[in-house]
Amino acid sequence: MSDLPPAAYTLEYPYTRSTGPVVGPFLTALRDGRILGIRCRGRVLCPPLEFDPETGATLAPDFVEVGPGGRVLAWTWIAEPARTHPSSLPFAFATILLDGADTALVHAVRAGSLGEMSTGMRVRAQWLEERRQSITDVYFVPEGQARDQQIPPGRGEVEMTEQLISLSYSEPLHPHRARYAKGLLEGRFVGQRSPVSGKVYLPSKGYDLLERVRLDEADDVVVANTGTVVSYTVITPVQYYGQQETEPTIRASILLDGADQPLGQQDIRSIPISEFRAGMRVRAVFKPPAERDLGELDNRWGSTGNVLSRWEPTGEPDLPFEKIAEHNW
Amino acid sequence: MTAQEIAIVAFAQTPAHRQYDDSEPSMLMDLTNQLLAETGIEREEIDFTIAGSCDYLSGMPFAFVMNVDGLGAWPPVYESHVEMDGAWALFEAWVRLQVGDIDVALVAGSGKSSPGRPREIFALQTNPYYCAPLGLDPVSVAGLQARALLDAGKATERDFAEVVSRSHRDGLANPNAQVAKDVSVDALLSEPYFAAPLRRHDLPPIADGAAAVLIARGERARRLCERPVWIRGIDHRIEPSHLGLRDLTDSPSTRLAAEKLGIHAGAIDVAELCARFSSEEIVLREALGLREPTRINPSGGPLCGHPVMATGLVRVVEVARRIREGSARRGLAHATSGPALQQNLLCLLEGGA
Repeated sequence: MSDLPPAAYTLEYPYTRSTGPVVGPFLTALRDGRILGIRCRGRVLCPPLEFDPETGATLAPDFVEVGPGGRVLAWTWIAEPARTHPSSLPFAFATILLDGADTALVHAVRAGSLGEMSTGMRVRAQWLEERRQSITDVYFVPEGQARDQQIPPGRGEVEMTEQLISLSYSEPLHPHRARYAKGLLEGRFVGQRSPVSGKVYLPSKGYDLLERVRLDEADDVVVANTGTVVSYTVITPVQYYGQQETEPTIRASILLDGADQPLGQQDIRSIPISEFRAGMRVRAVFKPPAERDLGELDNRWGSTGNVLSRWEPTGEPDLPFEKIAEHNW
Repeated sequence: MTAQEIAIVAFAQTPAHRQYDDSEPSMLMDLTNQLLAETGIEREEIDFTIAGSCDYLSGMPFAFVMNVDGLGAWPPVYESHVEMDGAWALFEAWVRLQVGDIDVALVAGSGKSSPGRPREIFALQTNPYYCAPLGLDPVSVAGLQARALLDAGKATERDFAEVVSRSHRDGLANPNAQVAKDVSVDALLSEPYFAAPLRRHDLPPIADGAAAVLIARGERARRLCERPVWIRGIDHRIEPSHLGLRDLTDSPSTRLAAEKLGIHAGAIDVAELCARFSSEEIVLREALGLREPTRINPSGGPLCGHPVMATGLVRVVEVARRIREGSARRGLAHATSGPALQQNLLCLLEGGA
């Protein structure tokens, strides 16, 4: 294992979902302090479904108010809540049969301690002060602890519901990846040469995928800081969630001299878009050692981190297309 | 259509690692090379490849494409993928070979759970309006299921601990086990709750790992190995996603799959169950009607190693290994997907010419 810190990264997906003819009225009522079930052939389903679970037939929007009290059918005490749970203090997840419903709702019971929980116990819904048009607008408490609440109705129908999904990861760099990363910090590009195909991979994945051969430290090779632009694209930034770019930027693939695989996703800012072209000879200019860091480089991607100050033209004649055709795609 | 005879001709698995220090494709590459070396065939002779994996586990969009590196990316493969346990990849390959026009398929399942937080990731499998915003995770749902079993009188906490004690002890003989130890039931019962009534040891360890099998049709299977392990049938069934619509103390989908396969038409020498929580084994044993002398989870099962996306395929490998070694003649492998055994797959395996 390397002495570099683990690569940590977060994936976020901001979901906005339309609610439709059943979830919409349910979330609207929930925001306004009421819980709805839906009638289905003599039964009341809560949470309400769009379909008959037995036949799959579409259900008419025949809602009926249920709860806010109910009975716990099954429960589990969450002693160490996860970041994604609706309570940071220990709580219970429970299947709750609300008064007037025939199917159970899964939700959180904030009971304070495991000793307060028992199968069959009565619970009652409590509404959050600030409601977000989500199932998490309520939670449950043992009936004896419930407060009476006046819930002011909100405006309009809930037609959308939002959920930000945020997932965190952390993993040490794989050994070959760590050696590549250290090379970058030292101002050089460390690839791996396959003893079978002779191909030099940069950055290497730790194997030769053409020959299905694992590579190790003895296969490491240092390649040049100069190379050829083999392909590029100009990205015009769309202002999606998390976007930080505002101006069009070049992303280029650069085949370093001595490598058989281009370094992808190179951010080119020091060469005007109008002058940039495939075949151009370029040189990597590293930042001073103290200013280099690995940035978002992890085991998945991030090819040069923040170790380069820029790519600059070498001034050599361009390579003709035939010389780079294999990598120009 | 007459069913094709299809057999497992080679199988391989990595140990269940708490944290494997290299990539998922590199694990698959080792397994692929092992299967090819054992059967002596070239990669070009594999007609179809399919893998089961989950991009969310390591947080790498399109990770499943990278995994093809490990199966041999060149020359181009006829490839498929399921975002499910490798056991479902086996099902698709088995169905594909039923067509009868190709002979050999490579099946893999792999996952690295160590970089992420499985409790947070797998809550996203649940209903996006009613459950996912609550972070309703597999451990919590297993806790609800365990409680339901206790309240229904179908199990005791001691029953859960007995499953754990037996499994961890069996793990001592399994070189691929991540957790293996000899612990008494009483010692287990003195541990604190994690998701009461479940304790930490009732949960599977977080693991990285992979498994792969090579399957072939009829005569080709007989030529490729001395002792083919015949797939007599695979069936999988699913239950509603809403927990409120299910009896968590039962597994009607497993029972139905077992009926369709006719598992009780002969003795079942060994059953490898994808019981990720000790409480799930109680539900599965009952739904399958397993009794002595059927040996359950001699590998130690998922409680000794749970490389998510491979755990079900590992069950197939463990049964196939025992049939090939001759310690079992006929065996059952089980895989599962979704919270509280929502979807269940059974694969019936048998030795013989």
